[in-house]
Amino acid sequence: MHGPMNRRDFLRTAGVAGAALCGAALGGCSSGGASGSADGGDLKCRARPHPQADAWKARLALAQGGDDPARNVRTAIEKLCGADGVKTFVKAGDIVAIKPNIGWAQGPEMAATVDPAVVATVVRLCLEAGAKAVKVFDNTVGMTSKCYEFSGIEAAAKAAGADVFQCAPHRYRMLKFDDPRCKRLAEWLIYEDALAADVLINIPVAKVHNLSYVSLAMKNLMGVQGGDRGKMHQEIYQNLADLNVMIRPTLNLLDATRIMVSGGPSGGKKDYVVAARTIVAATSSVTLDAWATDPLNLPWPKGHHDVAAVKCIALGAAAGLGVAEAGKIEVVA
Amino acid sequence: MAKRGKPRHPLHTLRIVCQLVFFALFLALLVLTALGTAVTAHDNLAQVFLITDPLVALGSALAGGFDAILLLSLIVVAISALAPRAYCGWICPLGTTMDIVDKIFFRNRDRSKNVAPRLRQFKYALLLALVVMAAFGIGAYGWFDPICIATRSFGTALYPMADQGVKAVLAAAERGGLPAAAALYDWAEKSHVFIREANFKQGGTPTAYAWSWVFVALLVGLLAAQAYQKRFWCRNLCPLGGLLGLASSLSPLRPRVSDECTSCDACRRGCKTGAFQPLKGEKKYGGCAQECIACWACEREFCPVDAIHIGAGAPRPIAPAPQVMPSRRAFLGAAATGALLAPAFLLDQRTRAKEETNPQFRPPGALRPDSAFMGACIRCGECMRACPTNALHPSEIENGIAGLWTPTFIFNIGYCDYFCAVRKADIDAGRTDEPSNLCGIVCPTGAIAHLMHAEKAKWKIGTAVFDKSRCLPWARGEECLTCEEQCPLPEKAISHETEEVINLEWLKMPQPKRNRYEELEEKLLLRKATPREIDELTDMPPKKRKLALPYVLRDRCNGCGTCENVCPVDGPGGVRVERLQTREIK
Repeated sequence: MHGPMNRRDFLRTAGVAGAALCGAALGGCSSGGASGSADGGDLKCRARPHPQADAWKARLALAQGGDDPARNVRTAIEKLCGADGVKTFVKAGDIVAIKPNIGWAQGPEMAATVDPAVVATVVRLCLEAGAKAVKVFDNTVGMTSKCYEFSGIEAAAKAAGADVFQCAPHRYRMLKFDDPRCKRLAEWLIYEDALAADVLINIPVAKVHNLSYVSLAMKNLMGVQGGDRGKMHQEIYQNLADLNVMIRPTLNLLDATRIMVSGGPSGGKKDYVVAARTIVAATSSVTLDAWATDPLNLPWPKGHHDVAAVKCIALGAAAGLGVAEAGKIEVVA
Repeated sequence: MAKRGKPRHPLHTLRIVCQLVFFALFLALLVLTALGTAVTAHDNLAQVFLITDPLVALGSALAGGFDAILLLSLIVVAISALAPRAYCGWICPLGTTMDIVDKIFFRNRDRSKNVAPRLRQFKYALLLALVVMAAFGIGAYGWFDPICIATRSFGTALYPMADQGVKAVLAAAERGGLPAAAALYDWAEKSHVFIREANFKQGGTPTAYAWSWVFVALLVGLLAAQAYQKRFWCRNLCPLGGLLGLASSLSPLRPRVSDECTSCDACRRGCKTGAFQPLKGEKKYGGCAQECIACWACEREFCPVDAIHIGAGAPRPIAPAPQVMPSRRAFLGAAATGALLAPAFLLDQRTRAKEETNPQFRPPGALRPDSAFMGACIRCGECMRACPTNALHPSEIENGIAGLWTPTFIFNIGYCDYFCAVRKADIDAGRTDEPSNLCGIVCPTGAIAHLMHAEKAKWKIGTAVFDKSRCLPWARGEECLTCEEQCPLPEKAISHETEEVINLEWLKMPQPKRNRYEELEEKLLLRKATPREIDELTDMPPKKRKLALPYVLRDRCNGCGTCENVCPVDGPGGVRVERLQTREIK
């Protein structure tokens, strides 16, 4: 056994070492593979707020009508931000993260997910504004590959030039919810790219939800988290308010091209869907939700919910994230 | 021992190349099976090794579950009828694994004295016992078939282990600041080399299977037995080897020894499978086609006088070695073992389950009644490998010993996905005649049928039942409804009604305050409360609060287990799929 190692010895050693490595790695991933890892206290959401975020806390812009959601997207953003549109918040060389609702394996006609044309348009606008990369992802509820395929978002966003990927289990970071306005969650797993991007764009779809009455911008941020989704459902309103305190999108863009009025949030029947032909843009997720929850503004079924019953809006407003009172919202139509 | 320095026969080299090509194909197909949802090959490509397996064909013809595609196994029979057990030497992935391990770990080990020719008959005895059991409807051959062993061991144990190991190493390297590791991870993820995880609960759970450590241990045992004899399993135990050995009796191509033989014993000691034996009453050796795996090592490498020739004829051949056959006693013993074990297994099954009304959770499309499924299932683990949510696992013996390693659901790990194999292109084109269950698509026998999407949506695996002592709203007065949210049916099988329940905040008040509350409330009811008292009452938390309580609508529920899978209650869920009402929904 002296002298240089021969091939057989090498293979034998390599085999044993490989098996040991596999074993060690398995041990490692059983303890932390899917649960991210502890991070220092300096971890935070780096997305820049819109330059006008403070001034526009009570402001949203609306584009309605027509059969072209892409045009409504451009109009809504221009109405909110002016002629410079996306350029007011995307700088050359930025990394942009887009979090559309891709939660379910349904086609856009079911209104369970965002219309792919909406996502593709935002991707193009960001790239035109000089973004270095546009990342599109969602921690989906259903099987991710099916959701990405069925919603049509993966194909459309890729065609528009975005990087579309599935969230990797080891890339969630344990974010300390150390803001004093967070009342319930102490820490939670948040996807790395949602934390690291220069610009974060939140694109919810408008639909009813069995627990939170409606699923809009505040709820859509569920897709950047990677903890036990079920555990978010106890005191969901406070959890959503906490999540929205910690994760502040640069822009929220509500896709109400169609809205799901029953069978939410998963849907799956065309009977559940009503055309609304609306895109709403706002810097505040709370203000956007306050407006969109109101049955006067979107065709929610009669008697489905009181605006006050969607308590995350009031909780978010109390945390200073936006405005809950309909009368105080400035609508640029 | 191979004599170093003697050149290999070109066919020996070709054989090694062939082995490696087929082994690579075998591994590639396992990857392909695992990423069914991504590329969804709606054909039997991924199981080509299983559907060409003559033992699977014979077994399922007897035990049930025969599918016409299994006639392809006649190709392998034909190979054996032409060139002994070339399948074992050139193609079988388990045999190749044996050779690779032998090369690495036992290469210099002297096993020339471990000839033990009598052991070779056991493979025929085992084959006979398994065939007898199959005739009774027991699918025990699946436990011993080498292709099933290889598929099971690699598919549900080694591959996921390697997958998780490599992922963990790359993830650690990425954390350590190595961008190349992240890039490699992304490439492996996008190119589907990595197993796509369910990405459902806890942000994606690593794919893992019940029993996998047992499969690894058994495989290691089979491989380690080579410390005694090369290809110990293939030579002495493999029932498929036995079956192909029988077909090899017809083979014109066989190892022939000419009368130049000097009885040096090199061939007997060198042959992996013991195909050479001294002939009775002669000083010469003979070759046996039924044992030869056509590895082509003997012709040039073993025989010092070039007396061995594998072929249809040979210069001055002498008599072949007699065929290895079980002794009459072994033959009767094997048949009797099979004939006794089979009814014993069947009776065991009876005592454990009311099979018509209460079978195990089976993949959608599984043969019914459950006894028929257990006969048709070969326990290869392909369905488990294909299941995109890691929901299917080898079962224990809940339904009797005969059901060991047949697929069952573990809903805590995965669930039966509503769409599974359905492709967007099929929906867009309005195609409804495409199979939608990956487990059925990859099943090599008829154990799991193809189900169209409409059939699969209505196929009842079980029924969800709320455990009111664990469900958060029912047991703890906390809001939840995750189950209803994620019920995938267009007409959800879980609904809720908002009811008044005791407010836990009210209960937190000390007793005197609670008494005061009751007192004020009664006054208010009788309209005797002063404005101050009304204010006092409104400042206290109300006694009752509204809470949404979930219910199962069991005629809609198909038992897919999504609710159980996503239930946030740790330990046994607050909603669980029970084996109730397993008939199809009308």
